[in-house]
Amino acid sequence: MKLTLNWLKEFVAFSGSPQQMAELLTMAGLEVESLAPVSSPEDQQDDWALEVAVTPNRGDCLSIQGLAREVAALRGAKLKAKATASPFAAARAEAPVKVEIRSPRCCRRYSAAVLDSVQVGASPAWMRFRLETCGIRSINNVVDVTNYVMLETGQPLHAFDLDRLGAKRIVVRQAAEIGKFVTLDEVERELAPEDLLICDGDVPVALAGIMGGRDSEVHAGTPALLLESAHFEPLTIRRTAKRLALHSEASHRFERGVDAEGTIYALDRAASLLAQVAGARPAGRVVDRYPRRAKAASILLRRQRAQDILGVELSAGEIEKILKSLGCKVQRRGKGAFQVAPPSARGDLSREADLIEEIARLRGYDKIPPTLPVARLHGERADARLRGERAMRSYLAGEGLTETIHLPFSSAELNRRFYGFHRDGAAAVAVLNPLVQESAEMRLSLLPGLIEDFKLNLAQRVKGFAGYALGKVFSLSPEGEPRERQQLAALVYGKRERTGLRVEPAPYSFLTAKGLVEGILEQVGIGERVAWTNSAVPAFLHPGQSACLELDQRTVGYVGEIHPDLSEGLSLPRYGVLELDFEGLVQYPPSQITVRSLPRFPSVERDMAVVVDESFQARRIIDWIKSLGHSLIENVEVFDHYRGANIPAGKKSLAYTISYRAEDRTLTDGEVQALHQELLSQMSGLFDAQLRG
Amino acid sequence: MDESVEHLRDEILERIGRCASESEVEQLRVDALGRKGQLTQLLRGLKELPAEDRPKVGEQLNQFRRLAEERIEQRLVSLKAEARARMLSGEKVDITLPGSRWERGRIHPLTLAMDEIIDIFLGMGFEVARGPDIEDDYHNFEALNMPKDHPARDMQDTFFVSQNRVLRTHTSPVQIRTMERRKPPLQVIAPGAVYRHDDDATHSPMFHQVEGFMVDRRITFADLKGVLTHFLRQVFREDAGVRFRPSFFPFTEPSAEVDIACVICGGKSSTSNQSSCRVCKGSGWLEILGAGMIDPEVFRFVGYDPEKVSGFAFGMGVERIAMLKFGIEDIRMFFQNDLRFLRQFR
Repeated sequence: MKLTLNWLKEFVAFSGSPQQMAELLTMAGLEVESLAPVSSPEDQQDDWALEVAVTPNRGDCLSIQGLAREVAALRGAKLKAKATASPFAAARAEAPVKVEIRSPRCCRRYSAAVLDSVQVGASPAWMRFRLETCGIRSINNVVDVTNYVMLETGQPLHAFDLDRLGAKRIVVRQAAEIGKFVTLDEVERELAPEDLLICDGDVPVALAGIMGGRDSEVHAGTPALLLESAHFEPLTIRRTAKRLALHSEASHRFERGVDAEGTIYALDRAASLLAQVAGARPAGRVVDRYPRRAKAASILLRRQRAQDILGVELSAGEIEKILKSLGCKVQRRGKGAFQVAPPSARGDLSREADLIEEIARLRGYDKIPPTLPVARLHGERADARLRGERAMRSYLAGEGLTETIHLPFSSAELNRRFYGFHRDGAAAVAVLNPLVQESAEMRLSLLPGLIEDFKLNLAQRVKGFAGYALGKVFSLSPEGEPRERQQLAALVYGKRERTGLRVEPAPYSFLTAKGLVEGILEQVGIGERVAWTNSAVPAFLHPGQSACLELDQRTVGYVGEIHPDLSEGLSLPRYGVLELDFEGLVQYPPSQITVRSLPRFPSVERDMAVVVDESFQARRIIDWIKSLGHSLIENVEVFDHYRGANIPAGKKSLAYTISYRAEDRTLTDGEVQALHQELLSQMSGLFDAQLRG
Repeated sequence: MDESVEHLRDEILERIGRCASESEVEQLRVDALGRKGQLTQLLRGLKELPAEDRPKVGEQLNQFRRLAEERIEQRLVSLKAEARARMLSGEKVDITLPGSRWERGRIHPLTLAMDEIIDIFLGMGFEVARGPDIEDDYHNFEALNMPKDHPARDMQDTFFVSQNRVLRTHTSPVQIRTMERRKPPLQVIAPGAVYRHDDDATHSPMFHQVEGFMVDRRITFADLKGVLTHFLRQVFREDAGVRFRPSFFPFTEPSAEVDIACVICGGKSSTSNQSSCRVCKGSGWLEILGAGMIDPEVFRFVGYDPEKVSGFAFGMGVERIAMLKFGIEDIRMFFQNDLRFLRQFR
């Protein structure tokens, strides 16, 4: 709502500065968003333009007079009334129009007046200046007066060219079978049956409360007017305005509630202004149909309740004074209660809570001293998920990975390519009203976001990139229900950065990516429960450098290099990724830590190297040795994997270290030697493995 | 005899002083004090002396021996110290060379801000709750006292995924979901992503909020002011100006916008008139939180008796707080993930 300070001061005395006015309104919940000096080009009159953000509950403040009432209440000032004599008082005859309200549910009141001897022309400079400062374009003196009165009183008005109303019979009704209507902006509107229309007989002449029609518009030669000053139901107007995406100053006000008691005053005000600027004269009395008078609200307000909600002591006198300053009728009910009837303009006051808010607002929020409530202890442990996320972030930061956050939107194309765990082609969740087509679906995987980051940072010529995202992905269940799941994904490329004198670290490989996954599983505390497999890895991964992670027969992760077809397709170098069902991993309680006592005797390590087929899996030998369950074998690990010189083609060399330890004595060299030899000879028999050196 | 002893003593002491290494000292020890050493020879010669002279000369020789041993030990100690000092000075490094370490990864600034907010409330005894990003109309609007066709719905441009489902426009539905499940007393915060159909330098279609609420017997607006003032002074500065002004949300009444004194100009630009601060646009204040007493209607939706309990709720934008704390001007920086940006956060 834009207004000028001088206009406001016509209705309420205010001696402070424009800044003080802005502060006063802002601190009363009518936030002044801008304040600027303006001066009219014609009469050089200095004024200030204010823009007030009026919240949707305060339709009554979408007018100069409404704001003046607020200022008066806040400052204890008197409202200045305009001269009250009605221009219609002298009229003897009936106005030459009939009014019929067929939808009283949608139209509470319809007041109409007829004016003749109209001379349509330009408005005076002062009026144009005020309208334009308030953001309304000047059209002609008639239309300008209707807008001027709307800004001043909050009551939208509409002027019809009387001669273009053939029937001179206003009918307020729903559109029903009338399918189309051309509004004054020359757009043909498709109507819904419940849209409210103003008709002249059977002919629609206005979309009630929103916009007039092209064919009954006031024009340069209009000699007589029908002025409409009505009250339409907020919901009716809102539905139609929203459906047609047609928002006007009038609909904005009707949607937020207009004072049904104010229609006549607005007609009087408009008629006197039209007499002044367009020579118009009343032709007959005002026609007023008011089938559904609103019952004035009567609210019980308890002083104790107000004190309990606000946390301050309030005297009965103070409560009464505040409510009366707002124009409420207040009657005491016994010791600590009041029966309150708010003024008709304040449709937003209907409950005790509304009055309590008004008491706090008028008194000033700053007059309520802050207190700290006594919190009650609760038995909830700090959120486990939160702790898990924090531990994970700190682990990943230590591993050199930087956290990234993305918008969760994706495209059908990307979802088809990077489908995450939805190999079955689960449907993505579609956004019905996306900002752009590239974000018309919710992501199935976190990878596309990371790939986007990778591209952006590669353009900065980074030597390495290691990023991760911890966020939700979305899909539809077979029943069409949306599901969301928190996942963790990472992208690693190139060399991890080191500070200091130059040393060349090894670039990220499948094994570093797998190591990250192992670290993550260890962090979550379920390392032992998952199984690695390379059957059925997703199609977007390199088939030879990828693996899946299974937990309770469910795939909960994958790791590997992006398929070279895809990286080349996006002109990217080769890089590794991983994605884990974070929610699936953290749902298990971490395995219990049970400490083993420390060994009392030393262990002895022996290495062995074997030459095996390329396809031989290193893990087999470890599994076999562990399966022996030998009490003196404490551990076995693979520590080298080699192809190349001295190893025949199609073969590779694997090296293991085995540690031997007895719980009750120091093993002798001889003992260990014998054990180790025994192991080696058994192994070469079992596997097609050749011992090396 | 006396003279030759004295002579020998002077000679040995002088040689000790000249020893340049531990091995020379050891050699000297053998030469002087060993089995065939000069002093040992003299001691052996004692029995040749007349009986009345033996005690005196013997005493002299023993004194001499003790002195020699002492000097040898001293010399060894000082030689070791010299050797160590030489070694140390030879190994001196240039301490201005850079330390060698792996570059750490960074935590996203939104997570940093979110964690700070969460920790302040955890410290006040709040719990953390979560809810779905895809919400139904009932929890996102209806139960928050925003019936269909309510103008307040215009305040939040909404993404729809179906007729009845939206990307939540705020974290307030978690308030409803928590109250549906549990009984007061409740003091809960709900952090998470929210979505609005909007995209420019100050609006992102996705951003983050922390919703919070407290419900118990006799929770007051004064309590709301106390908790939020405490919170804002922890996030910003102990002496930050905080003001509460009336506003409107369908799910709270009374409702408040909470402002802090501009973190850039310190609120000065509002008094010095037109020297407009870029961040607060000259108002001196920054809108930081929406809050209010939970509307009795909301309590009815979740089956609480508004005559028996009261409570407050609040919501804040995490991006906004992070932008003010870190001086970030464009909200889109958060979602571009440029390492040159992310590396600036510790």
